[in-house]
Amino acid sequence: MTLHRTARLLATAAAVTLLAACGAKEDKNPPDIPFAPWGEAHNAKPDFAELEAQHPLSVEDLYKITPKNLALLDQEQVDQIYARLSAGPIPEGPFEGDLFFPKGGSGKLRLSEIAGGGLKGLLVNVAGKKLDLMGEILWKGKVFYRDERLLRNRIEDLGPLKTVGLVEEGNDNPLTKITVDGKDQWLLFPARLYCGQSLLDGRRESIIIDYAFTDQLPGYRRMPDMMAGRDGFAIRDEIRMVRPGLYLGRAYIDRSFVVNFVLYNKAIDEAGKADYLKTGKTAEDCWTGTQQRKLVAAAQ
Amino acid sequence: MVRLFLLAIALTVTLPSPRPAHAADTTAKVHEQDIPYVEACAREGLNASECAGRLIWFKATAGNDRFHTYVFQQRVGVLIDWFRVLRSDERGDRFRAWGGINDPSCCTPGEANCPAKSLDETYGLDWCPGDEELLKYVGKDGYRDPACDFRDAPLAEGDVHGPQDQRQSACDLKFGTSTGMLGVRKFPNPRFNLEQWVKLNGRAGSWEGYNGKIPAAAGSEEPAKSRLLDGSVEPPYLIGTACGSCHISFDPLNPPADPANPKWENIKGLLGNQYSRMSEIMVSGMATNTLEWQMFAHARPGTTDTSAIPNDQVNNPGTMNALINIPQRPVFAGEKVLKWRKVASCEGKTAPTCWCEPGRDNKCWEKSLKEETVHHILKGGEDSIGALEAIQRVYFNIGSCSEQCWVNHLTDLRVADPQQRGFGQTPFNIGQCRRDCPNFRAIEDRLVNVLDFFMSAEARATDLREARENQRRAADPAATYALQDLIADLEKEFGEGAVARGQKVFANTCARCHSSQPEAAAGQFDALDFHKVDAKSGLRADWLGNDAPTLVSEVGTFRCRALHSNHMTGKIWQEYGSETLRAQPPDPNLKEPADGGRSYYRNISLLNLWAHAPFMHNNAVGPELCGQPENKANAFYAMRPRYVDGKDLSLLPPEQQPACWAYDPSVEGRFALYKASMDALLHPDQRMPKVTLLNEDVTLRVGPRLWDGTDKEKLVGFSLTIPANIDGRGVNAGTVGNFQHKTFVVDLVQAKFKPDEVEARLVKQWGPEEGKRILADLKGITEEVTSQPNGLIEALKKRPYLVKQIYSSCFAEIENAGHRFGEDLSDDDKKALTAFLATL
Repeated sequence: MTLHRTARLLATAAAVTLLAACGAKEDKNPPDIPFAPWGEAHNAKPDFAELEAQHPLSVEDLYKITPKNLALLDQEQVDQIYARLSAGPIPEGPFEGDLFFPKGGSGKLRLSEIAGGGLKGLLVNVAGKKLDLMGEILWKGKVFYRDERLLRNRIEDLGPLKTVGLVEEGNDNPLTKITVDGKDQWLLFPARLYCGQSLLDGRRESIIIDYAFTDQLPGYRRMPDMMAGRDGFAIRDEIRMVRPGLYLGRAYIDRSFVVNFVLYNKAIDEAGKADYLKTGKTAEDCWTGTQQRKLVAAAQ
Repeated sequence: MVRLFLLAIALTVTLPSPRPAHAADTTAKVHEQDIPYVEACAREGLNASECAGRLIWFKATAGNDRFHTYVFQQRVGVLIDWFRVLRSDERGDRFRAWGGINDPSCCTPGEANCPAKSLDETYGLDWCPGDEELLKYVGKDGYRDPACDFRDAPLAEGDVHGPQDQRQSACDLKFGTSTGMLGVRKFPNPRFNLEQWVKLNGRAGSWEGYNGKIPAAAGSEEPAKSRLLDGSVEPPYLIGTACGSCHISFDPLNPPADPANPKWENIKGLLGNQYSRMSEIMVSGMATNTLEWQMFAHARPGTTDTSAIPNDQVNNPGTMNALINIPQRPVFAGEKVLKWRKVASCEGKTAPTCWCEPGRDNKCWEKSLKEETVHHILKGGEDSIGALEAIQRVYFNIGSCSEQCWVNHLTDLRVADPQQRGFGQTPFNIGQCRRDCPNFRAIEDRLVNVLDFFMSAEARATDLREARENQRRAADPAATYALQDLIADLEKEFGEGAVARGQKVFANTCARCHSSQPEAAAGQFDALDFHKVDAKSGLRADWLGNDAPTLVSEVGTFRCRALHSNHMTGKIWQEYGSETLRAQPPDPNLKEPADGGRSYYRNISLLNLWAHAPFMHNNAVGPELCGQPENKANAFYAMRPRYVDGKDLSLLPPEQQPACWAYDPSVEGRFALYKASMDALLHPDQRMPKVTLLNEDVTLRVGPRLWDGTDKEKLVGFSLTIPANIDGRGVNAGTVGNFQHKTFVVDLVQAKFKPDEVEARLVKQWGPEEGKRILADLKGITEEVTSQPNGLIEALKKRPYLVKQIYSSCFAEIENAGHRFGEDLSDDDKKALTAFLATL
């Protein structure tokens, strides 16, 4: 599917709103799903293989998760959910997105603080504002071009980028604009999509959103796109499917984990719910490993 | 050899069994590519089980093709440039560059009699038997692995899981086909897209778009990148390694006339490749100014750091152990071993410690603590729960079951938060791996065959006498060369009576450690006969080593290997170390952490020393070896000469550097190297000190290293630069691998927020005065870093002892020091000892 065709498709797509994804009640309480006990130290966390064997998730559990209530969990709980997911199908089309901080996090986007591994007192922070800005525009809306294994980010407001001089415009490479739900959006930061290694859990592959060679992709413009690339922040995301229409992601900068995020498409979620609840099965584009994934479906 | 395959029947041929006794099936059909292996079994006189074990050892990857193609690159972050190593147009240079042994059955496309006519047909690699089928599946699903045709040996009598054959499918051994380098295997990548590949590389047989260097935008000080980093590019092959990739060697009894073009009869499976540059292979896709290259690429030929991937931040390359006369190898009774053992049922047992494989008939294992008789394997005897399990662990060393079983237990060097997963190692769980990884089960169910191979005639001693006899027989098939002939020749060189005199010197000076005879253990050295034959095995009775642990400070050799920590409680290979091992007291003479069973070397075998120089666990005593390849980009020794001025560890100028010795596996070449190495061993005061130095500053980064494209400033992150020179002294390259940067960073933070706790710990470890000094320096650094964004580098330069000692897991520097035993012998005694050892 070409960029142009997809843009038109987006323009006519049904409205998708992250905040409206689920009801307020579910959003205000952490999902009631099983977790293995854990401690604070790195070696007091459960092994994911044993976690999955001893505490499998059911399909119903997956439907207790909303894009909002994940932020009510501890990071370890978010990790335990992620480890019990599979990659699912590489998405197609527009997804709403947002990053989130686990319970206890500041809730304020300060990537420049967490990128140093939480070692605030020692951080070399020369231009943290630019990094924080990246956090405010990435991990929001995205468009997946599944057949081309490409992704682009939807930017609603170019103002902040322009303010710090990070948008190059020219007649030879005009900005691509689409309209979603009546709003103009700009497509920036192209990335590759592929099945690859999770940097958290190696037992099965994740879908990788890789900006390293963004300069090789169609529509690339040096500014601001290179900021995400290998000579910039070297951003690499990985996602796994919670259920059709909802993906849980982990964002890395230069191979260091920085933040969680979700991607949501309400239309896909609603369209696939009945079947997924019944079967617990979906397409898998990536290597699913050899440990049997225990996902208990209602009908089983 | 290629002609043989062209003439061979299409897919399978029928060969006679290698040996009638214990043969599995005299009409066994053999996969075409296995023909040379079956012939080798016949040549070596191996029975069915030994032959099965040999084939597994040479070919089975147990699924590590995903490790060497995806996991190592993406998860660990280290790039292998497989084309650089395996490109067929440099097949003739492969041994000299990488120490890899060329597969005699493979050929370079386009050469006469090679079935492939163009490098495009094979995507730039050698054509090897089995490729006529494999190449059809590049970019497609459906490849049937040749391991599916593997003929299992009969089950051992009395197998707890028998008599029904319940072994995991042999397909999960995963053989693929040869890459042209023995032990390195290839598999068709079903995700490969030819159109995209040609778009990137220009044509099918080129990898230049994939592995070509892409300069960093921020300038040459930053490492260049390549598309090897790009996980979206799927290469035509997945590359796997068998155990043989490190252990296959040239036969000292029958060396190749041309090492780049050996014949099958020149190949042995258990002696260890003394020329392998496996470490350089593993980082072949990295720029030399990366941390990863610096951490890996300083092992000598024939050595590799087996804890470089399961990294314990102890830089410790060691040789591939020569496996010789294993039936005579010492064992140790009464060692406490907690491990899984085969049982016929788990009835009444709890799940965590007893498990039966689903769908099988009481194929169960139970984990229990028992006293056992075991070998001591690895340099310090760390693999000490049994020979089968020691072989089993090798498969993890080479990457098998990495995703299912062990990468989640590794240290992520970038994680600096003690609360985050990946901050440190956690123990690998054998039971979980058995349950979740079919490749594990495929190997485990056949470990007995591999052990039988170890015990087989292929591991028999390769004596100099026999090697010289073989040389003479090449000219005259009736020629003989008896032990007395060898002694006579040795005495011409080393003096009359040298061998007999050397035997007495050996008995009185060396046998305390280097004899397995009980009389030696009892101190009765006069009665020792080192040449007597064991009636049961037919092998030399004395293994010439007792495998008992000796404190590293007593041996005095480069101690970092003895401080290797992966078998300690809580570390990744915990389950492969015995409780007896871990109960060993630490060496009281060391300042580095040495608990948990560390700080020992076992007393190794001196069998066939004539063929296995240079010496010591790191191959550092004796001349330096080099391959001198035609492609100078692969001339690794030239990048890192090692002789230094002992006063300040500065690298000696080129004109003072002794020349390296070119690889020479011939009988004469091995013997010359042996003599030079013995000379170095017995004259420690004349050894020129060797240190592998940093050849440039190396920066460790915790957190991201960034450039925003506008002001060329590093934006965010925490970086520590190890200078190549501190206070006028060169810095050991091992410093990088040994630097406990996480502990340092945590202490730095804690010194600011919890100074009392840090002080108490430092005082306990280093004493009141030193502990307080360290804390004061940590506080000072914190202040300097807070006021100066890039102050850490300068702050550390002012306090080099923090990097080189306080936060180092090993601060030994001279790599060829120690083992001074015998230095006080007279020159005649030293000559005599050299002569005598050449007879063993």
